Amino acid sequence: MTSLAVRGITKRFGDLTAVDDVAFEVRGGEICGFIGPNGAGKTTTMRICATLELPDRGDVLVDGRSVLEEPRLARRRIGFMPDSYGAYANTTVLEYLDFFARAYHIRGPQKKQTIERVVAFTTLDSMLEKEIASLSKGMKQRLCLAKTLLHDPAVLILDEPAAGLDPRARVELRELVRALADMGKAILLSSHILSELAEMCSSVVVIERGKLRGVGTVGEVMKSVTPRTRFFLRALAGAEAAERALLERPHVLDVRRERDGVAFEFEGGPEEQAELLAALVTAGLRPTELSPRETDLEDVFLSLTEGKLQ
Amino acid sequence: MTTLAAFAPRRALVDRLNPILVKEVRQALRGRYFKLMFWLTLGVATFAGLMVVASGASSDEIDALGQPFFLVMFGCMSAAVHAFTPFSAYLSTSAEWDENTHDLLVLSNLRPHQIVLGKLLSALTQALLYYSTFGPFLVFAFLLNGIDLLSISVLLVCSLVACTGLSLTGIALASLAPVKAARGILMAVFGAALVMVWGGSMGAAAEITSSPQNLRDPEGQMGVAFFLTIAIVVGGLFGAIALARFAHEEENRSTGLRLLSTGMLLLAGAWGAWLHAQFGDEEAAWGMQVGAGCVLLPAWLFFLTEPRALGRRATKHVSARRWLALLSIPFLPGDGRGVFLFLVHFVCALLGGVLALRFGATSGGFLEVVGMVSVFYAYTFVFLALPAAVASAFGVSARARLITRITIVVLVPLVTLGPALAGLLFGSRDWMELRHPLNPVWIMQKLMRPDKPFGVVIGLSGLALGVLLTFGLNAKRMTSGVIEVLAASRARREREQLARS
Repeated sequence: MTSLAVRGITKRFGDLTAVDDVAFEVRGGEICGFIGPNGAGKTTTMRICATLELPDRGDVLVDGRSVLEEPRLARRRIGFMPDSYGAYANTTVLEYLDFFARAYHIRGPQKKQTIERVVAFTTLDSMLEKEIASLSKGMKQRLCLAKTLLHDPAVLILDEPAAGLDPRARVELRELVRALADMGKAILLSSHILSELAEMCSSVVVIERGKLRGVGTVGEVMKSVTPRTRFFLRALAGAEAAERALLERPHVLDVRRERDGVAFEFEGGPEEQAELLAALVTAGLRPTELSPRETDLEDVFLSLTEGKLQ
Repeated sequence: MTTLAAFAPRRALVDRLNPILVKEVRQALRGRYFKLMFWLTLGVATFAGLMVVASGASSDEIDALGQPFFLVMFGCMSAAVHAFTPFSAYLSTSAEWDENTHDLLVLSNLRPHQIVLGKLLSALTQALLYYSTFGPFLVFAFLLNGIDLLSISVLLVCSLVACTGLSLTGIALASLAPVKAARGILMAVFGAALVMVWGGSMGAAAEITSSPQNLRDPEGQMGVAFFLTIAIVVGGLFGAIALARFAHEEENRSTGLRLLSTGMLLLAGAWGAWLHAQFGDEEAAWGMQVGAGCVLLPAWLFFLTEPRALGRRATKHVSARRWLALLSIPFLPGDGRGVFLFLVHFVCALLGGVLALRFGATSGGFLEVVGMVSVFYAYTFVFLALPAAVASAFGVSARARLITRITIVVLVPLVTLGPALAGLLFGSRDWMELRHPLNPVWIMQKLMRPDKPFGVVIGLSGLALGVLLTFGLNAKRMTSGVIEVLAASRARREREQLARS
């Protein structure tokens, strides 16, 4: 079932169209990476999904509830972690969680169990009596995640959760997010660290200047950007000979010399690839390596937002 | 999990309390602001009290030392409950923006009334701490003689009501400004206002304690009741503003305020009737309406500069019955419908003033009431609705509305006081002394005089033209306001018919 359905939302701030007819869906158990350059409209879209901003057009359904018509019900199903998360002064970790648990009307034994659950999940056990101000950035991030999980939301909207974290904290956060997806939660996650997203996201939404540039699973989006496969060829006959031979072959495009080999794009299936390899051997190039180069999310991002690969 | 185990049962009762109250009291008791202010107030009060006792012991007034001692104690306590406590309510709400917790708070299951109530209760808890701390001092003042129990009781009740109203004002003001710079300006203005309130409360305490017999006279009782009403009404109005600010943007945040403001006018009418019945003075009948109108100025400014459209949620709630939808027009959100509300308020004020005359021994003053109320409302209409209509033609964005509101707030005093400067430049003594047609107070002062100055005639003529012009400029948004409501009503009828079939 679709847990988060963004339906053609548009948001203007004066003359600026921050979000322009953006539509996508995130299903339960799915981690959707939301990527785009600064000012692309990611935070505005996320705030609309979290019922904190109103779209001028369109709607968002959170677990089937419209953020416009039933914002209160939608909010109960949303866990929103803003990029600049809040922490109260003169408050300990436990008091912070206790306050938000009661703010979500969780009381009595249920409150105790809930706090225990989120504390165990985010491994904040040893921090309960510490003042929030004394926590590291990573710990504060965990605390904010723990607060977000208190009411067991079906949809999680995490705006730049890994920003400013050290590598260890980032890896730990990634594990937590994966665990949440395994619990069946739909997760919309924005980040500038694309390698992180590529590792954990099952789908991506690319946005630029408020407009949707690409949407789908990571594989689908990559395929839509680069229908050809990029190869790297190394041969004993040398890079120059390899380049010459490749330029004569069909299906071969964009041949470039790289250090001791040649990189090129190839538009063909396994049959054509086998033919190419045979031809290179016949031509006496004595190839030692012919390997496909994987297109990563960074390439996709650059391609979709600035057209470098297109 | 030992900490958690100890924590949960201890909190079993606290769980039933408003979460914000618990959090804020914890924060306040741990924070520096409350501790510093508490000990500072107590220290100053103790020192000043000792000084009063020491100086009084050696004078002839030793038998009536209670009054100066009480005034010193009340002054210190008043600083705490009329200045520090409302200011801390302002800071607490302001901190929600500063600490980026505002969004987290509104996303929780807490309803706007729970948020505002929590903030208010935490401020009142701090105030009660001050009251209980100063309690023994006040008892001591009573035992010193020179002050009666009635004066102390009345001052304490008025002080608590004022503290409540001021705290709600602080919460509402801080909730109005998400931008830090705007909050800074509001904080300075609010702080200055609180200092003035503190001064005023000291003056009132001095007046009451020096002439305690006044509290037994109808005039004194009326004064106290009037003060309490104003404090409750202002507190209610600001509370409603704060509620609207914490509600979801798509919620109807206007109707509650519109109903409350109308209720205030009806209350003013009831007060006017009672005052007229007591004292037989026509001034009470129209004075209450004009006073209520002055309190409502910010609310009218807000209504007249609201976004034009109903909003998707409000649209769905418009009555399917055409006549009911028409009747609800002034109470539905939207700037054009704000004009209708203003007209409804004018009619309410006029009727309230006229009906108030029916209570009491004297029966005259009909023309005075109609004249005064009409002139006040006409000036207000021109000063607020005319620039609002002009501005709405140029921009409808949130920023444009904010600029319009600020411009009107700046323009109104400029229009009224500016001619004084012109009078200074051109040597016109009348204008220098604010005797000019743009000053509604002067026009109202001269309105009922048989020998009206020429300026008053000019002012009234100009006012009539201004009202017509304002109506003309507002006609478009008023019309669209009606059309939108009728369309929403029709759409609902169609939806209901569809559902039935």
